[in-house]
Amino acid sequence: MFGLTSCRLAACSTGAAIMPRMKLAHALIVKSIAETLLVAGLAVGFYVSAFPPTYHGWGEITPDGVAGWAVNSADTFERLEVQLFIDDKFVAGAIANQSRPDVVAAGWAGDEWHGFKFSSFSVPQGAHTARIYVLHRSSDGNRQTLQLLGNPLDFAPDADGRQIRPLRF
Amino acid sequence: MTEVDHSNLTNRAIAWWEIVSIVTSCLIAEWVIFAFAGRSKLIGAAPVVLALAFMIFSHRQRGESLKEIGFRFDNLVAALGWVLLLTVVVVVLIVVTGWVLKKGSFSFAVPRPRFLLIIFWALFQQYALQGFINRRAQLVFGKGIKSILLVGIVFGLLHLPNPLLTVLTLVGGVLWAAIYQRQPNLFALAVSHTIVSITLALTLAQDVFYNLRVGFKYFG
Repeated sequence: MFGLTSCRLAACSTGAAIMPRMKLAHALIVKSIAETLLVAGLAVGFYVSAFPPTYHGWGEITPDGVAGWAVNSADTFERLEVQLFIDDKFVAGAIANQSRPDVVAAGWAGDEWHGFKFSSFSVPQGAHTARIYVLHRSSDGNRQTLQLLGNPLDFAPDADGRQIRPLRF
Repeated sequence: MTEVDHSNLTNRAIAWWEIVSIVTSCLIAEWVIFAFAGRSKLIGAAPVVLALAFMIFSHRQRGESLKEIGFRFDNLVAALGWVLLLTVVVVVLIVVTGWVLKKGSFSFAVPRPRFLLIIFWALFQQYALQGFINRRAQLVFGKGIKSILLVGIVFGLLHLPNPLLTVLTLVGGVLWAAIYQRQPNLFALAVSHTIVSITLALTLAQDVFYNLRVGFKYFG
């Protein structure tokens, strides 16, 4: 079945043996390229599935908490789930479904219901960092991932603890 | 000073490259596919098909016949003679180990219908390991301990990170490679591989060998 050429297991140095080796080298290169593309495609596919690049949003410090908006540009009517972390610890979760007319006016969303606000949390005196993440489920719910919306927000509560103020803009 | 045979050197280099290429395909299937694509059989088949296609192409280019590779019956009895002795010893060792580890309360697991397919999986593994890797290792090092050890190391490497299975397959790979270099018969090796695999699956697989899981799947 395979007996087509004259070059057998023993190394041969004839010209007839060089062509098969060249073909083998070419086949090995092609196989390597195919595997590289396969692995790269899988890696990118996995990343897009686990961390969709279509999530956009923003968070900001307000006097009574943290507010912002979150939109999936692949489905501009989807209500995204967001989570607030302060100093890397989970504080609260919410659905971004509050009115934000400015978001739809800016062309980010299909309707205005993409806002969120976290206000009922208390933190001790001193500087803190808040991060807003959007939650994404993939692999039939077997996997959940978080993506940061906007930038980390540094803040500190006032002396009486009733209001918070941003530490930088 | 010896004269360097450049064509021989190139032949060895290509053979090395072929071994690395097939091992890479196996590692991609075991580690990358499962990590990124889960249990998708279609995607999982891609590196296997690539490797198989390349091995067939390589056999054609090197003019190797099915008989040379080991798909033959003329030396089946002779090969079985070597293989069965080894297999009986390994099976006894596995059963005794199971008996000792379970402190006498030894019991066999329930056989599954898929055990019937192990012979084909074993034949495929032995073909890749001996019919291809071993033959290419012989191009690099010639017959003998170096090429036999290389085959064992490759077989063990492909069973990482399962520690005991890695050791067992390294030893098994070496022994099967040594037998193949004496009597190149893949059917006999597949029979041995099947008997050892089923014995492991029925006795120690769950407790000692983590259900024979390898690659990324080992972690869950």
